[in-house]
Order: sequence, then structure tokens, then C-alpha cells
Amino acid sequence: MSLSGRDAYRAELTALAEHDERIICLEADLGGKGHPFQSRHPGRFFNVGIAEAAMIDMAGGLAVAGYRPFVSTFAPFAVLRAAESLKLTLGYLGAGVTIVAPYAGVSGAWFGTTHHCLEDFAVVRSIPGLVIAAPHGEQEMRAVVRSAVTSGRPHYIRTGRNADYTSLPSADAQQSVNWEHAGHPDSVCLVSVGEEGTRLCLAAREQLSDLAHGHLCYLDHQHLADAAVELSRAHRRFVVVEEHRPEGGIAEALGLLMPHCEIVGVNVGHQWSSEGGDHAEVMARLGFDLPAVLAAVRTAQDW
Amino acid sequence: MTMTIDTSTQLVRRARLARALVVDMAAGPRGCHLGGSLSVLDILIAAFHRADGDEGSVVVLSKGHAAAGLYAAMYVSGILHEDPVAHYGRAGHPYTGHPSPALPGVAFPTGSLGHGVAYAAGWALARKVAGSDGLGIAIAGDGELQEGLVWEACQIAAAQRLENFVLVVDANGGQNDGLVENISPMPGLAARFSAFGFDTAEVDGHDIPAISAILGHSRVGKGRPLAVIANTVKGKGIPPVEGKAASHYVSIDCARAATWKRMIR
Repeated sequence: MSLSGRDAYRAELTALAEHDERIICLEADLGGKGHPFQSRHPGRFFNVGIAEAAMIDMAGGLAVAGYRPFVSTFAPFAVLRAAESLKLTLGYLGAGVTIVAPYAGVSGAWFGTTHHCLEDFAVVRSIPGLVIAAPHGEQEMRAVVRSAVTSGRPHYIRTGRNADYTSLPSADAQQSVNWEHAGHPDSVCLVSVGEEGTRLCLAAREQLSDLAHGHLCYLDHQHLADAAVELSRAHRRFVVVEEHRPEGGIAEALGLLMPHCEIVGVNVGHQWSSEGGDHAEVMARLGFDLPAVLAAVRTAQDW
Repeated sequence: MTMTIDTSTQLVRRARLARALVVDMAAGPRGCHLGGSLSVLDILIAAFHRADGDEGSVVVLSKGHAAAGLYAAMYVSGILHEDPVAHYGRAGHPYTGHPSPALPGVAFPTGSLGHGVAYAAGWALARKVAGSDGLGIAIAGDGELQEGLVWEACQIAAAQRLENFVLVVDANGGQNDGLVENISPMPGLAARFSAFGFDTAEVDGHDIPAISAILGHSRVGKGRPLAVIANTVKGKGIPPVEGKAASHYVSIDCARAATWKRMIR
């Protein structure tokens, strides 16, 4: 049994803080009761209340003063509500703040539109200097959190709600492409992004075992440029699966980085979800499910 | 506006019915934000009564996490015509955990706190510009007041002398992670709003006739927006959860729901 992304973040940060006095944890009233960092390191835990933009700007002050602040709030509030703080503090200032953003994509499901975030890659990828990661599973999340502490660079880390995922066997988050299956050079290559994107690619591989599959954990421009070199050396036709809008997403970015390759994107499209249902039901309603991935594979195979 | 005894009794009866619906939603497959839904119910019933038949007025639940309370209050007030319990949180229905205009009668998507306050102020400004009657009534939580956007909207409302803007604060003392007083206390609320340039009133947020009386007073010629501090109890009406921070989000089974509904007061 793995931990969910946000529980893995909390557990890893709490453990790292045992030996690193610089680490400070901030929440904006969405950390829940019994936060492990608060229990273990109460002097370095601050619930600032419902004040996301202020939390990120304050983290900038803490970072410049020598601390390693980690802030967490739901993805729509971190990226959209506090976008300007993110731009100025993590971008322009380059402060070593890490934002951990659960409820990305439509993992908020029945909670509705205000609790969905399908635009975060588009925003954070447009801010120079950010390290962007969408880890899949507990081990990959823990590795990303460790790297964020070590590097001191500004990070945006995307995760979901409470679902847990098992990281791929080779969960070295630092590699440009984590090849779950290298495949034949002529086969279509699935490129998985994030928790649900990776789950869907693994499900597609169960049906079509010849497909190649490369998983991307880091998604900022520099990491994607490195991944594009590796991907395009190995394959020519790609299906990129991401729980995001088409605009500003990873398929769009790889399309520019790999102009001689064929790329099909599987994403949530342009609709708004205004109905209830669990995560899978909401994704299916938006056209982000296994049939959509298999249809995209068929399109790519016809090229 | 003077409320008759019959009307008052009817509204109290509506609130009682609505509480049972909220408990039933907590027993659905998703659970619900029970504590805040029960604290705000009487305010919603009174506000919908004030706006009933008045197309120039809008009621916005800015603390959108109390959606279960909103749907229940809309149903017993005749704004919704289908029982929300069977549809709450389910695929194929617009009864999401935070409300959106996909449901007729909901003006603005709330759940990201503070936005509903500014929207209602904008509605009030529109009525003023058009020279028309009508109130923009926003209902916010006291925890929600930690969000800076609330105070930007209040500053504008005061600066624009929006006498037809009413902000009702459901002061239940709780928020997601605990008590407001422990996380980011905000004492002297009435004085804060007064300093911003608001008229202020304090009321028992479960006294529907008293809330209705405040909302029923004409705002014409006041020259200042109105803040109503409605002192409420999280989980109000269900003794096992009354006043408990843990009632913020609750998922129960049908047997417990039946027990709790028998306890409603």
C-alpha cells in the first residue's frame, strides 16, 4: 500500500526536517488536522489561514533569509489565485520556495469547478526558472521532495487528492525519461504525465503490449528539452497523455521540441465539468479515459 | 418589512426540513460539509425569503463549501423543484460539492473563497448604476474573512457607497483545519467593518425572524453598505455535532442519519 502524493510529501518533508533545520512548512487551512509536520516540528509549522497569495510571498521572504519553505494548498488556489505571487517570488526573485499542489486536474471530482485545476502547466511552464514536477506514486514524490530540499531551487510539484499510485520500478525521478518499456523503434510510444496519465498509459500497455512507454516526472522547459532529445532518438510517433487542457500542456511543448515527430495529445479538452461523480467519472465525461488513449494510439499507428 | 407569526413559523419549519435534507446528504456516497451547512441554513432561509419575488436582488453563498445547505435551503424555499438529496455529488447532476451556475438559481461558482463577496458587490453596483432597486446579498464565513479579496471588495463597496450591498457573516468560529481563533483570529468584527465604512448589525444567526427583520429594512438613503455579523453554531440543530470543529466534513451511514434526524431541534 502506497501513500497518496500529498501524504508522501508530508511524510518525506517531516523526515527530512529531522536533520535540516532550514525546512519550514506552511499551509493555508488545507493541511488537515493532525498534519505530521505540525506534530513533529511545531515550531516550524505555520497554518497561515485562508491566505494563499500572502503565504507564497511570505515564503519568499523566508527563502531569501536562508530557510527552505515548503507551502501547500490546492492547485487551483496555488497556481491561479496566487499566480502573481508565484511569478514574482518563485519566478522573478528565484526564491527557493517549493509549492506542493494537490487537487490538480479534476481529482477534486464532485467538489466542482472551483476545486479543479486543468491550467496549471500552462501557467507554471510560462514562468522562467521554475522546476516543475508531476510525480507518480509515493517513491517518485519522495524523490522529488528530497531533490527540492537539496537544490534550493523554486519548485512546483503537482499531485492529486487521496488516490495512491505505485511508482514505476525505476523511479529515478532525475532521469529525463523513465522507460517503463522501451519498445521497438517503429512502435508508437506512449508518453505519460502525472498520476492519471501514467495510470492510463499502463492500462493501455496491458492491452497493447508492443507499445513503448516513457514516463516524464519533470516537466519544465529544460527537463522537457532533455527528454525530447531522448524520446526522438528512440521513436517517431508519440501519444502524450496528460490530465490538463490542450493549451499549455506537455504535448504542445513536445510538439515544438520535436518538430520532426508525430504527436497526438490525449487530454481533457475544453469543457467545464459542472456535474458530480468520482474522479474516473469526471475524467470520462471530459473524454480523458482509456478508450481515448487507445483511439489516439490507433491514430498514431495509421501515420 | 414586518414578519407575521405565520410567516415566521413557516420559515422555521423550512429550516427544520432543510436540516434533515443536509443530514441525508451527509449520508450519501460523498458525505458533505455538514457543520458549515447547518450553521448557515437559517441565514439562507431568511435571505431567500427576503429576495423572494424580487428579481432585482441576488443571494450569493460565497462560502461555497456549504453547498449541501444551499441546495437544501433552495429546495425548501421553492427555488429548486427537485429534492437534491438523491443527486448530491453524483454523476449526471449539477449538485456538486461547491455550487455552480450549472444549477439554475445559483448566480456564481463559489468554493474558492472571497469571490462571491466581490460578485455580489458588483451586482449591487449594477443596480445602483441602473438606478434600480435590489440588493446584492453575499453570505461569507468568518474563516473566509482571512482571504484578502473579501476586504478589497468591502473597501470598494464602501468607497462606492453601495448601500444596497449586504454582507452577512456566518460567524460559526470554525474553518477547515480547526477554530478561527486558533488559526488566524479576527476579533472585533463589527468594529472592523465599521472602520471600513459599513453599517453593522449583530444578530443570533439562528433567529430567522431577527435576520429577516435586518434584511427587510430599507437600505435606501443609507449611503453605506451593511455588514451583518450572524453569530452561529457549527453543526447547529444536531446535538452530537453542535459546536464541534470535527463537524466540518462528515460522512455517515443511513442509520446514524435516521438517529440524527430524530434529534433535530
